[in-house]
Amino acid sequence: MAAIAQEAPEGIAPPRRQGIVFRGSTVWRWVVLLVATVYFLLPLWAALRFAGIGAFGSVVSESGFTSSLALSVRLAVITTLITIVLMLPTTVYVHLRLPKLRRLLEGITILPVVIPPVVLIVGVLAIAPGFIKATSLLLALEYVILAMPFAYRAIDAGLRALDLKTIVEASSSLGAGWVSTLWRVVLPNLRTALLSAVVLTVALVLGEFTMASLALFETFPVWIYVNSQTSGQVSVAASLLALFVTWLFLLAITMVGTRQSRKTGGREVTLFTVARQETRGD
Amino acid sequence: MTTNTTKNAAAASDVIGQAGPGGGTSVLLQNLTRAFGVTRALDGLSIEMAPGELVALLGPSGCGKTTALRIVAGFETADTGSVLVNGKDISSVPAAKRDMGMVFQSYSLFPNMSALDNVAFGLRMRKIGPASRRKRASDLLDMVGLAPQARQYPHQLSGGQQQRVALARALAIQPRVLLLDEPLSALDAKVRLQLREQIRTLQQRLGTTTLFVTHDQEEALSMADRVGVMREGRLEQIAAPDELYTDPATAFVAEFVGVMNRIPGELQAGDQVTALGSTLPVRGHRPEESAVDVLVRPEGLGLEVVENGNGIVTTRTFLGSVTRVGVQLSGDVAVQVDRPSVEAAALAPGASVEVSLPAHPVLVAARRVS
Repeated sequence: MAAIAQEAPEGIAPPRRQGIVFRGSTVWRWVVLLVATVYFLLPLWAALRFAGIGAFGSVVSESGFTSSLALSVRLAVITTLITIVLMLPTTVYVHLRLPKLRRLLEGITILPVVIPPVVLIVGVLAIAPGFIKATSLLLALEYVILAMPFAYRAIDAGLRALDLKTIVEASSSLGAGWVSTLWRVVLPNLRTALLSAVVLTVALVLGEFTMASLALFETFPVWIYVNSQTSGQVSVAASLLALFVTWLFLLAITMVGTRQSRKTGGREVTLFTVARQETRGD
Repeated sequence: MTTNTTKNAAAASDVIGQAGPGGGTSVLLQNLTRAFGVTRALDGLSIEMAPGELVALLGPSGCGKTTALRIVAGFETADTGSVLVNGKDISSVPAAKRDMGMVFQSYSLFPNMSALDNVAFGLRMRKIGPASRRKRASDLLDMVGLAPQARQYPHQLSGGQQQRVALARALAIQPRVLLLDEPLSALDAKVRLQLREQIRTLQQRLGTTTLFVTHDQEEALSMADRVGVMREGRLEQIAAPDELYTDPATAFVAEFVGVMNRIPGELQAGDQVTALGSTLPVRGHRPEESAVDVLVRPEGLGLEVVENGNGIVTTRTFLGSVTRVGVQLSGDVAVQVDRPSVEAAALAPGASVEVSLPAHPVLVAARRVS
C-alpha cells in the first residue's frame, strides 16, 4: 500500500548524547548499586544465618502457622473483592459523568494515608457493633479503607490513559448497551490497572500489623510477632518465608499483567508505576 | 493509491450492499437549539439532507457544529427541535439503537481488540455469527486497504491506519447515516489528503448519507456536496462549494471561506459603490451605513506595474502556478492579489503598482473599525 509507505516515519529517536558522560559516573553507578545491595541484602542474609536452614522445616508444623496464613490470605481475597467492586464502578462513573468530582475524590481517597492506622482502628473498635467486631469482616472492611488510595489511583490512571468517553461513545454508536460496553470494552482495557490495584491491595493486606493486632486477630504478621516471643529462630524463618512467598506472588501477578498489557501496547506492570497504556499519536 | 481506492470502493457495494439501509436515508435537522449554561451552542439550526448526500458543517471552534453532530448521533439532546431520519423523529431513540456509524476526531479504536475485531464489534452487537461477521469485517478492511493489518492491534497502526479502521468499523454496521467528527484533523497533511479522497470515494459508492464536521475549509470544500457554514449556533449559508466561494451570502461566509480582501468604499445611490477610483454595482446584502468595505478575492483584483500607482508591492509568496502579491494601498489598507507566477517576476517588493477592482458586481460589508 502506497499509503503506508508514504506515511512519515514516527518517533525517530533523537541522537544519544554521548561523550558528555565522563568515566567516573560508571564507577559511581556501581558504588551506589553495591551500597544498595548490601543495605537490602545484609539483613536478609543475617536473618537467614540466625534462623538456620533447619528452622524452615519446623515453621510449617508450628501451631498457628496455617490458621494465621489462611486468615491473611482470606482477608486479602475479601478485601480485594470489596475494593474492586466498590472502586471500579465509582471511578468509571465519575470519569464519564462527573469529571469535576475527580479532584474531590482524589482528596478523599488520600485520607487513609494521612490518618494513622491506629486512629482508624481505635475509632472503629469503639463504635462498631459487636457482630461485626467478632468476625474478620471488620478487618476486611478496614483494609478496604486502607487500600482505597492505592486502588483508586491505579484505576484512575488506567482510565485516564484510555480516553474513556470516546471509546464508550464509539461502543454505543456501534450498538452496544451499557453492560456490553462495560464488559467488552472498558474492563478489558483496564486489566493492567485493575491488576495494579490488586497487587497493591494484596501486598498491603499481607503485611498489615497494627490494625490486626489491635483488633485482636491473629493474622500472619501478628502470628510472626507473637511467635518471636517464644521462638526467635522460627519466627525469623517465617518472616523470610512470608517475604519470599509474597514476592513470588506479586511477581506472578505482574508477569501475567505485563504479558496482557504488552499485547495491547501497554508498558510493563510494576508495583509502583501503574501501567499506562500508550496511545499512539497524541 | 487513488486507483486502488476506486477499485476497492467499487467492490464495496457488493460487500455491504448498495441498496442496504444506507442507500436512501434522508435526514432532517429541525430548528435545533441547545444551551450549555449561558452559551447557546445551537440557536435554531435546520438542515435538510438528501439521501446519499455528504453535507459538511464548517465553522470556527465553538460555532456549534460538533454539538449538532452529537445530537444526531444521540450523545447529546437538543433543548428544542428534532432530528428526523426518513421522516421519523428519532429524538427519543438511544444512541445504541440509531444505526449511525461514527468516526471520531481522536483515535477511538478499542485498544484490546485487533483491527478485525474492532470492525466486527458492531456486527457482534447485532448478534451476527462469528464466521459471517469475520468475513464481512475482513471485506471491509480490504475495502479501506488494510487487509494485511487485520490481526494488528491499534497501537501497532499509524494514525492514518487507525482512522481507516475506524471508518471500516463505522461502515460495517451498514449505517443509515455516517457521522464524521473531524476525522482527519489529528493526521499529518499527506495522510489527510489521501484519506479525504478515500472517504469521499467510498461514501459516493455506498451512497451513505453523511454529515461531516470540520473546521478545515479546504476539507469541506473538496469533499462535500454541500457545505453549511455555521456561526454562533446558526447556519449562515448552506450551498455547493463553488457557490459558497463565488457567491457567499454574507460577509462572514465570504471571509471564512477562502481569502478575502477588504477595500474601503462608499455606497452611492442606486446600489453602486465607489472604491479605488471606480464605481461598481453592489450585489447581495446592502449595509445601512454608506461607509463600507468592498470584498474581493485575491484572484479578482487587477494589478499592473505603473509609475506612481495606488499601491506598493510589499511581499511576494510563490504558491505554484500563482504567486500571491501583497500590496500596500494608501490609508493603511493591505490587499493580496494573485497573479500567474510567470508574470510575477516583475512584481518585486517596492514596485509601484495600480490595483483595480473587477468589472462585475461586488459584495460589500459594513466597514470594519480596526
